[in-house]
Amino acid sequence: MGRRFPLSIIPVWAFLVFVIWYFALPLVWMVVTAFNPNAYSVAFEIPKHPSLANFLKLAKPVSGVVPYQWIVNSVIISLATAGLTTAVSLGAAFVLTRFSFRGQGAMLTAFVIFRLLPALLIALPLLILFRMWGLLDNYGALILALSALILPFTLMIAESYFRAIPITYEEAAMIDGCTKVGAFLRVTLPLAAPGLATIFLLAFVIAWSQFVLPLFLIRTPSLFPASVGIYFFYGQYGKVDYGKIAAFSLIYSIPVIVVYFVIQKYLRKGIAGLVAR
Amino acid sequence: MERWVNLSGAGKSAAPASARTAALVEFTLPKLLIVPALALIGLFVVFPLVWSVVMSFTNYSMLGVTARKWGFIGLKNYIWVLTDPDFQAAIANSFIFTIVSALIGQALLGLALAVVMRMKGPEGWVGAATKVLKVIAGALVFVAWIIPEVVAGYCWAAAMSRGGLFTAMFGINYNFYVRHPLQAMIIANIWRGTAFSMILFMAALESIPNYIYEAAEVDGATPWQRFRYVTFPLISNALLVDFILITVWTFGLFTLIFTLIGPQMDYMWTLYVYVLATGRMGPPWTGPGPLSTAAAAADIMFVIVLALITGYLYALRRLRRWA
Repeated sequence: MGRRFPLSIIPVWAFLVFVIWYFALPLVWMVVTAFNPNAYSVAFEIPKHPSLANFLKLAKPVSGVVPYQWIVNSVIISLATAGLTTAVSLGAAFVLTRFSFRGQGAMLTAFVIFRLLPALLIALPLLILFRMWGLLDNYGALILALSALILPFTLMIAESYFRAIPITYEEAAMIDGCTKVGAFLRVTLPLAAPGLATIFLLAFVIAWSQFVLPLFLIRTPSLFPASVGIYFFYGQYGKVDYGKIAAFSLIYSIPVIVVYFVIQKYLRKGIAGLVAR
Repeated sequence: MERWVNLSGAGKSAAPASARTAALVEFTLPKLLIVPALALIGLFVVFPLVWSVVMSFTNYSMLGVTARKWGFIGLKNYIWVLTDPDFQAAIANSFIFTIVSALIGQALLGLALAVVMRMKGPEGWVGAATKVLKVIAGALVFVAWIIPEVVAGYCWAAAMSRGGLFTAMFGINYNFYVRHPLQAMIIANIWRGTAFSMILFMAALESIPNYIYEAAEVDGATPWQRFRYVTFPLISNALLVDFILITVWTFGLFTLIFTLIGPQMDYMWTLYVYVLATGRMGPPWTGPGPLSTAAAAADIMFVIVLALITGYLYALRRLRRWA
């Protein structure tokens, strides 16, 4: 070994180790406690007899609700929201990229504003309105509200996606006798399929993680999605079983982590696009 | 032939009626596909925002007499909110929280991470070890950004309670997030949001071509000069976009803070709104509403958020003119 150890690497290592410590810290509690069958305090403790007991306990009711029910609820809500959002974004993006009309620029600006609004600003008046209309605890209404909240995101993504596909392909198809809609459906849509899948997945995980809207609009514990379910867990009086909460949080987080790692490349490109423009 | 005429858009008025119908079917009706999107946003975003303003001038409440028989009471809600010490404290803390956790914490740590991630490591096992550390750090930073906010909040609450990993490491024997809520919020939010700045800055650094650095090196620029006069001006656009977006996001944060420190109305404006909306105030409530008072508080913040977003749009437009 003729090469000397480069001392300049040591601050870099120190920095990276600090980052790893800082970012792993809260996650370690969740992962370790999930396998601790006797975690009755929030303090960190390495289990002497790690087991899957917590995951089995989640099948037993807590205050009359089986926690896994919340996961099922989340699946229903998120699938419906993602499907609706993707379909609606598709139609709107088609119109926004394939036609030009008055007010188009203003419309896009409005979508950017809605995309950045804190969800709480919409949740509060929705609570008042849904209460007046008797729509609290109504999944259909919640799904529509969630879709409206997520739509500005997915719409902008769909818009930029379709804009990137040259319209000349469609024009060629139209010269060959296709209608405008037909050309879009037969030529552009297949090209955009991966983009649509990304939009669906993104809408799914945003809906899956949403907390504010269901917290305000769903009142019955058996109808809670998983996010509000965790909150409900902590709010219980008496002996709180932290092992169970950690196990539930872990199950709840895994789909999100999987989806984001699948669409990671796309996500990075999207963020890079913010600079390039 | 008819189709060809429609396609070019010429001679529309001269076309026979059947052609006009065809044009309607082909070019006007498809535009209706935007209607579902507009209806959804109009009904569940725009109308609620307007309704929030209307309700802020009433004495509407969740329970009691004014839940059914509410009426307009003028500016009383706004006067109550603006003179409420809790609301003033909430706004002050929201700004401190945003500046320290986003503009300083997330942006600096994100920039440092982006620079380190892009550095070329040395050869051999030292380089390999550096690479492994980089991959682990990058993945953890990313996971912190994407896991559900509820989970992030409660995991930090656990780490910061007595006997938690964070408190134990600093020899603290009390619930850190109870005694120092603002510090706890800042630590959790830097953790939560750094990934965005890191990814944005990595993309910005990647877009700088290498020959510029080589030219600077040939001209004898020191590493600091290279950063100050080459890197910095070239990533300033990214910095601007980053600052505004993380400011807007952090300023509107609710879930992370709520799950971490609970409904403490004087630490964040979103918590203030939540507490009033759910009637969880500590002492007996003597003001109007309180649901309508929550709406008034939310509308004041809406104006501030809108100002921030307008700044963002303005900055974007300037950038685009630049490019």
